[in-house]
Amino acid sequence: MLLYLVWLLPLFGAVVLWAFGPQLKSWGGPIGSALIGVAFVATLVLWPDATAQGGLHVTLASWLPGWAFGLQLDRLSLIWSLIITGVGFLIHVYSIGYMDGDRAFARFFAYMNFFVFAMLTLVLSDNVIGLLVGWGLVGLASYFLIGFWFERPSAVSAARKAFVMNVVGDVGIMFAIFLIVAKIGSIGYADLFTRFGAAFTPHELFLVCLGLFIGCAAKSAQIPLHTWLPDAMEGPTPVSALIHAATMVTAGVYLIARFAPVWSASPDAQELVGVIGGLTALAGAILGCAQWDIKRILAYSTMSQIGYMIMGVGIGAYDAGVLHFFTHAFFKAQLFLGSGIVIHALANEQDVRRMGGLRKQLPFAFAAMLVGVLAICGVPGFSGFFSKDAVVYGALASGHPWLYAVGVITAGITAYYMFRLLFVTFFGQYRGEVDPSDLGLRHPELAGTAASSGHHAEEEEPHHHAPSWLMSIPVGILIVPSVLIGWLDYGPNAPWKQFFAGFFPRVPEAANVPLSEIVSTALVFVVVVIGFAVAYWRYGAPAALRESVARLRAETVRMPGVLVNAYYFDAAYEMLLVRPAYALGRLIGTVLDPHVLDAGVREAGWTAQWLGHLFRSFQTGLVRVYALSLALGVACFVVYYALAFGAGR
Amino acid sequence: MTVSPESYVALSAVLFFIGVVGVIARRNPLIMLMSIELLFNAANLTLVTYARAWANNAGHVFAFLVITVAAAEAAIGLAIVMMTFRRSPHVDVDEVAALKG
Amino acid sequence: MIAFWILAVILIASAVFTVSAKKPVYSVLGLLVNFVALAATYLILQAEFLAVMQIVVYSGAILILFVFVIALLSSGVRPFSVGPNRAPRIVIPAVVFALVALAAITVTALRVPIAQHAAAVTGTTGEPAAFGSVADFGAALFTTNLLPFEVTAFILMVAVIGVVLIAGDEGPAGTPRRKKRRAGTREPIVKPEPQAR
Repeated sequence: MLLYLVWLLPLFGAVVLWAFGPQLKSWGGPIGSALIGVAFVATLVLWPDATAQGGLHVTLASWLPGWAFGLQLDRLSLIWSLIITGVGFLIHVYSIGYMDGDRAFARFFAYMNFFVFAMLTLVLSDNVIGLLVGWGLVGLASYFLIGFWFERPSAVSAARKAFVMNVVGDVGIMFAIFLIVAKIGSIGYADLFTRFGAAFTPHELFLVCLGLFIGCAAKSAQIPLHTWLPDAMEGPTPVSALIHAATMVTAGVYLIARFAPVWSASPDAQELVGVIGGLTALAGAILGCAQWDIKRILAYSTMSQIGYMIMGVGIGAYDAGVLHFFTHAFFKAQLFLGSGIVIHALANEQDVRRMGGLRKQLPFAFAAMLVGVLAICGVPGFSGFFSKDAVVYGALASGHPWLYAVGVITAGITAYYMFRLLFVTFFGQYRGEVDPSDLGLRHPELAGTAASSGHHAEEEEPHHHAPSWLMSIPVGILIVPSVLIGWLDYGPNAPWKQFFAGFFPRVPEAANVPLSEIVSTALVFVVVVIGFAVAYWRYGAPAALRESVARLRAETVRMPGVLVNAYYFDAAYEMLLVRPAYALGRLIGTVLDPHVLDAGVREAGWTAQWLGHLFRSFQTGLVRVYALSLALGVACFVVYYALAFGAGR
Repeated sequence: MTVSPESYVALSAVLFFIGVVGVIARRNPLIMLMSIELLFNAANLTLVTYARAWANNAGHVFAFLVITVAAAEAAIGLAIVMMTFRRSPHVDVDEVAALKG
Repeated sequence: MIAFWILAVILIASAVFTVSAKKPVYSVLGLLVNFVALAATYLILQAEFLAVMQIVVYSGAILILFVFVIALLSSGVRPFSVGPNRAPRIVIPAVVFALVALAAITVTALRVPIAQHAAAVTGTTGEPAAFGSVADFGAALFTTNLLPFEVTAFILMVAVIGVVLIAGDEGPAGTPRRKKRRAGTREPIVKPEPQAR
C-alpha cells in the first residue's frame, strides 16, 4: 500500500498545486517538495520488499484476459525510483530558491510533481501499457516544463520540437508494443519474458527491438533523434537538471534494461543499439567542445554520457549501464545545479565567454562543479571512474573492440571540454564587462539577452545574488554521492554486482580479450590526463589566462561551421520534413479547403437554388402555358399507348 | 359502313387537335371556350363511330351525356368569363396571371 | 362514301376557321357550320336522335349563349382589345405536340382495324325502333342508363345555381352583392354595456 503512496502522492501534489496555485503562492514550493520527500522515504521503506525474491507486486485492475494493470517494485525499478524521488526531492528544494519571485511559482511545482508522477508510472508499471502511458506523460511533462516561460518564442518552439520528436519515438515504441500484445496476447512483463522465445521469429524479435529502440532514441536523445536536447535548455535550470539529465532522458536506458531478456535474444538489435550509443557518445562529445552556452555544454555532455549508457545496456552489459545511470544522475544534477547557481548569480548570463574568474566570487559553486567535473571525467576515486570503466571494459569484454576504442576516445574528449568549461568559467579575470565584439560576438545582444529575457525580465541591470541556502544545500548534499557512490562497484564481489546478481541475462564473453581490466583502466586514465592537459594548455595555463579575451575571440571566429550547426541535423530536418509539412498545410489551406471542400458545400447550395429558379420559371401564371403543358402530357400518353398497344394483334 | 371506322377516328383526332391548338394559341377567352367545345365534339364523334361499329347504344347515351355536361360547363365558363372581364379593359387571358412566380 | 369526304372537309375547314378567326362572332359562325356538319355526320352513322340533339342543344342553345356573352362583354362600341402578348410563338410547340399525337393516333388507327359487328345493326335509318332511333335511344336511356341520366340532371341544376351565384345580381351602383368586410371593423362578440345607466 505504501507503493500506492509513492506513486500517487506526486499526482496529488500536481493536481492540488495546479488547481490552487494562485491561492498557495509561495507555499507551492515547500508543499511540492515535501510530497516528493515523503515519496522518497516511502521508497526507502519499501527497499527490503523490493529486493526480496520477485519484488513487490501490486495489481491495480484486471480488464480483459491477459490485460492486468499493476505496479511492481523490483531491483531495477527500485534504483530508478530512488533516483527519481531522491534527486527529485533535492531539485525541488533547490527550485524553491531558484524560481523565487517567478510569476508562476506554484505552476512550476505542479508541473514538476506531474513529471515525477509520470516517470514513476513509467518505471513502476508491470505491463507494457502502463509503460507506454508513463512514456507519453513524461513527454508531456517535458513539453510543459521546457516551455514553462511561454512568453519566449524560443522556449515555445523548443518545447514543440521536443514533443514532436518524442512523438516520432512514440510511434516506434507503439508499434513494438502492438506486435508484443498481438503475438503474446498479454501485456504483462512476466508473460512477455516467459513466452517471447516461442512467439516471435528472430526477424519479428528484431522488429520489436527496433521499435523499442526508436522510442529510446527519441527519449534519450540518441542520433538521429537528438536535436531536441540542446534546445530543451530553454527551460529553467532545475528542469534541465531533473528531466534532461537525471531522469527522463534515461527512460530509454530503463527500457532496454527492463526488456533485457528480449534484447539479449536478438544480437542484431544489440549491435545496432551499441553502435548508435557509441556514435552518439562520440558525436556529443565533439559538439560539446564547440559550445559557449554553459547549459548547452552540459546538454551535449548528457547526450554523450547517455550514449555510454545506451552502449552499455545495448551490448548486454546491463549492470554496467545501469551503474553509469546511477552515478551520472548525481554528478550531472550537481553540475546543472551548480551552473544554475552561477547563472542565477550573474542575473541569467549563460555565455561562458562573458564569465571568468568566478572562483573567488562563488567558491561554493566552484567546489561543487569541480567535483562534478572530476566525476564525469572518470578521475580515479570519483564515481564516474567506476561506472565509465565498467561500461567501456564491458564493450571490450563482450567482443566489441571498435566500441571500446570509441568509448576511450570519448573519455578523453569529455575530459577536454569539461575542463575547458571549468577553466573558462572560473579562472582568469571576469569578462562580464568586456565589450562583446572583443570576444568575437557578432551580435552582442544575443549573447546575454537570449538567456536573460526569462523570469527576471523586469530587471534591466544585472546584479549579483549570493546563492540562497535553499540552493546551496541540495548541491552540497549531492557532492557526497558524486564522490562515493561509485565505490559500490569496487572489486569482484562489489555490492552493486551482488545487487543485480541473476537479474539480468549473462553477457556473452568474447573469445580472447586483448587487454585485462587493469590495463584498460590505465589506458583510460592516460587518455583522460591527455584531455586535461590539452584543456589546461589552451585555457588554464597562466599564459592562456592572460590572453583569454584574444584566444576566445579567435576560437569563436574560427569555429568550423559543421560544429556550429551541429552537423547540420537541424538543417536537414528542416529541409526534408518541416518545409514539406508547411507546404502541405499551405496547399490544403489555400487550395483544398476553399476550392474543394468549401466548393462542394457551396455548389450543393447553388444547385438547390438553381433548381428552384428553374422550377419557378415554369410558373408563368399564363393559362395558355399551363394548357400547353397539359397538351404535352396528353401527347406523351397518346404516343405511349400507341407504341405499347398499337403493334397489331 | 362503307367507310371504315378508322377514318372517322382519324377525322375525330384531327378535329381534337385543332381544338387543342386553338386553346393554346388564342388569347380571347371566348374563343378558348369555343375551342373547348370543339374538343367535346371530336370526342362525341369517336363515341358515335364506335357505337355504330359495335352496334352498341351505350355510345349514343354517352355522347348525349357529353352534350349535356358540355352545355353546363359552357354556361359556367361563360359566367366566369363575364365576372372576370367585366371591368377590365382588355379581354385577354394573359392579363389574368396572378399566379405568376 | 363521298358524303363522308365532303363532310370531313367541311368539318376541318370550319374548325380551322373557328380557331383562327379574328373576331369572336366569326368564330361563333364557324362553330355553327361545324356543328351542323357534325350532325350530318351523325346521320350517316345512323345516330338520328343524337343528330337532332346536336342541333337543338349545341347549335341552338350553347352558341346563342356565346353570342350573348360576346354582346355583353363588348358593351358599348369599343371593340375587344387585348393586352401585350405574353407568350408569343407559343403556337409552335402546340402545333408540334398536336402533330405528334395526331400522327400516333392515325398510325395506330390505320394499323389496327376496328372490329365491326355490322350485322347486329338492326334496321335502316328512319324505321321506328331502328338502331339509333328515338325509341331505341329512349329505351337505352331510361332503362340501362337511368342513373347517369338522373345524375346529369343534378349536374345541370348545380350549373344553374352556380351561374346565378357567380354572375348574379349586382348591388346598387355596381357594388358587388356581398358586403365586403373591411379589416379592423370586426364586430365585438360581447357588446359593451350601454353607457347611461
